[in-house]
Amino acid sequence: MTKEDDRARDEFTSEAEELLETLSRDLVEFESQGRDVRPEVVNKIFREVHSLKGLAGMLGFGEISELSHSLEDMLDRLRMGKIEITKELIDLLYDAVDSLNRLVIGINDPAMGGLVDITGLTRRIHQLATNQPHRTNEDPFADLTLDEQTKKSLTEYEEHRLLENVRTRNHILAVEVRFDFADFDERLRALTETLSKAGEVISTLPAIDGSGGTGIAFRLLYGSMLGEEAVALLVPAGQVLSLRKHEVPAAGASEVTAAEAPEEDRSLRSISQTVRVDISKLDHVMNIVGELIIEKTQLDSLTRSLHQGEALQQARVTAHELTKIARNLERKLNELQRSVIETRMVPVGQIYSKLSRTVRKVARELNKEIELVLRGEDTELDKVMVEELTDPLMHIIRNALDHGIEPAEERVSQGKNPIGKVTLTAYQQGNSVVLDVTDDGRGIDLDVVRKAAVKRNLIAQHEPFDQRRAYETLFTPGFSTAAVVTEISGRGVGLDVVKRNLQELKGSIDILSVPGEGTTFRIMLPITLAIIQALIVRAAGEQFAIPLTSVEESLRIYSRDIRTVERREVFTLRDFTLPLLRLSDAFHLDSDRDESPDAKWFVVVTRSGEKVAGILVDALVRQQEVVIKSIGERLKTIPGIAGATEVGEGEIVLVIDVGTLIEQFGGKAREARAGVLV
Amino acid sequence: MKVLVVEDSSSMRAYLTTIIEGGTESFDLEIVEAASGFEALKTLPHHKFDAILTDINMPDINGLELVSFLKNHPVHRAIPIMVISTESREEDRKRAEALGAEEYLVKPFQAQDLIEKLRRLLKVA
Repeated sequence: MTKEDDRARDEFTSEAEELLETLSRDLVEFESQGRDVRPEVVNKIFREVHSLKGLAGMLGFGEISELSHSLEDMLDRLRMGKIEITKELIDLLYDAVDSLNRLVIGINDPAMGGLVDITGLTRRIHQLATNQPHRTNEDPFADLTLDEQTKKSLTEYEEHRLLENVRTRNHILAVEVRFDFADFDERLRALTETLSKAGEVISTLPAIDGSGGTGIAFRLLYGSMLGEEAVALLVPAGQVLSLRKHEVPAAGASEVTAAEAPEEDRSLRSISQTVRVDISKLDHVMNIVGELIIEKTQLDSLTRSLHQGEALQQARVTAHELTKIARNLERKLNELQRSVIETRMVPVGQIYSKLSRTVRKVARELNKEIELVLRGEDTELDKVMVEELTDPLMHIIRNALDHGIEPAEERVSQGKNPIGKVTLTAYQQGNSVVLDVTDDGRGIDLDVVRKAAVKRNLIAQHEPFDQRRAYETLFTPGFSTAAVVTEISGRGVGLDVVKRNLQELKGSIDILSVPGEGTTFRIMLPITLAIIQALIVRAAGEQFAIPLTSVEESLRIYSRDIRTVERREVFTLRDFTLPLLRLSDAFHLDSDRDESPDAKWFVVVTRSGEKVAGILVDALVRQQEVVIKSIGERLKTIPGIAGATEVGEGEIVLVIDVGTLIEQFGGKAREARAGVLV
Repeated sequence: MKVLVVEDSSSMRAYLTTIIEGGTESFDLEIVEAASGFEALKTLPHHKFDAILTDINMPDINGLELVSFLKNHPVHRAIPIMVISTESREEDRKRAEALGAEEYLVKPFQAQDLIEKLRRLLKVA
């Protein structure tokens, strides 16, 4: 072997190990999403196996190449919708990835590679892949006005995804955007992420900036349940065009107006499908799951220490077996956890009928005509959360009716429909449930808020006052804009209480408002409170867990990158000044840290609602699932702590509550990447 | 002369670079690497390339989309392109051809094949 071959082999082995690692994680995600798995996840798994095959083929690793080849074929059929997702398929994927892992280890350690039964595996793969042929020859372009160039630039897979989107009666849109050359990649990725939440970006075609500027244009092919106008709101700087020749009613969200909600139907269904369970029994099962997860964590840390002591070959084989056991245990745990969580979940629709009754009553009292549109009633949330949510939702809807929606004559004079419209939309976003209360009323007038705030001595007469400050003021205790506290919303309870209630549920609330057009109150809640994914970090010699839902990204910086502005430490993250906070300051811990310019730090960029702050830590330890346990009354009063958790070997760490931490020690509002109407 | 290699797998990229460097010692060739379609787009204005080699299967924007962009660009359309695909992706290879890519190379390939096709693209004997 030449030196180049050696180098190529080393590079291949390390890239293959990385690929397989990612592949295992993606498989867990695949399995957890079940039959409704997002096409992107399947395509990502396909691409990973494809890359592996390409590499192995070039370097002459015959067995790896053979196995990944048949696996790739199967995944290709899977992503093209030609085979179905079954338990058998998922098991086979796990087995195949495990075998690939052994083969890659086997490159340097032949004892491992010899244990793989490639013929058996390829036979299973082949059987599954050829099992269910169902081929369609529809022309995805038949009902679309699609230009030739876009049509020609689609891969076979993209063409298939387009057809699927056409079939599911999604809107098919072209989104055209222009970005500056300097940062088009970041901005395009951010846009793609935003759009992916409400649909699928099928292809991204770069084009020359037609305006003659120095930027670059992109034409995105987008399938979504949102229509042209809604998407245009998400892409303020771009152009959105519908490509369908005939508009199809969206199949995604079901619209039920308050007047016609089929209450009888729903109650009939609940008799046949519901079992009443005492919630304390479920809590008990949940605790067992929690303890099992702790066991699994210990198994993980044992495996890690074995991996590190890699002096003995036997240790590596044992470590590999342990990893496999841990992964299987994790799968079973996920399954158990999901089913327990599911039993606790109820559709938010349960409170919709209560809400529509209130709206009718309040509308009568205010002498306003209101249409209430309820969407996403099947969105599920933890039973306890749904109950705790009723009051805050009621309050926000009352607010919308009272302050948001104008009297009929005022609406008519502005060219609006005299009937005011309030829309409640619930949908799931990752591990969160989002509830949007949107009215088409007058929007929030900054000047009115400012005057009211001055009058109540909440701000000084000439204090600078922007939108952000105005929205914060709305959530301040004692604030009200109504000249006379009305019977409806002025019951001594303000938005501050709503915010506090939601924070207790680990949720957040944000406002999006356009003067003259309306306001949206956006509530975000975690699906359940008991188990979360967390990033374990080390700071001032202690470990802390930061809930992953609050983490945007993490990066490594040096002391010299930290600047001080107005006596606060900040860091310039791309074009944004990120306020920094130290856990040692927040929790009064002694730290004898190296502060020299070359000293390394990690910044965990966290977000709560629209506020962003960077938490400075010494090290990122790992990512893991943690079970949050509540802590004693005494610690409860310390802001910034959500609870405690055990991370294996009996070690207790505190779980950070990013929301109250940022609030206490300051964060900065950053335009949310997604859905901001302000 | 200058060649752009667009490939998201780092070891495949290193492998391609090694082969090209080894096979083109007789003439002065500079290789610029891009790990994604985005990186390729960013690199373009800063160099004058004599040929571009691209993989198809990449995140963000794929090889076909990159070819489509290049072949419709008033300046870059003249740069000859070699698309490197895998034998199982015959359909995508046809599409690259329709978009105007000049050469195709199927993985796994012989080093000699790559060099010959590259020489054809660069019009060096």
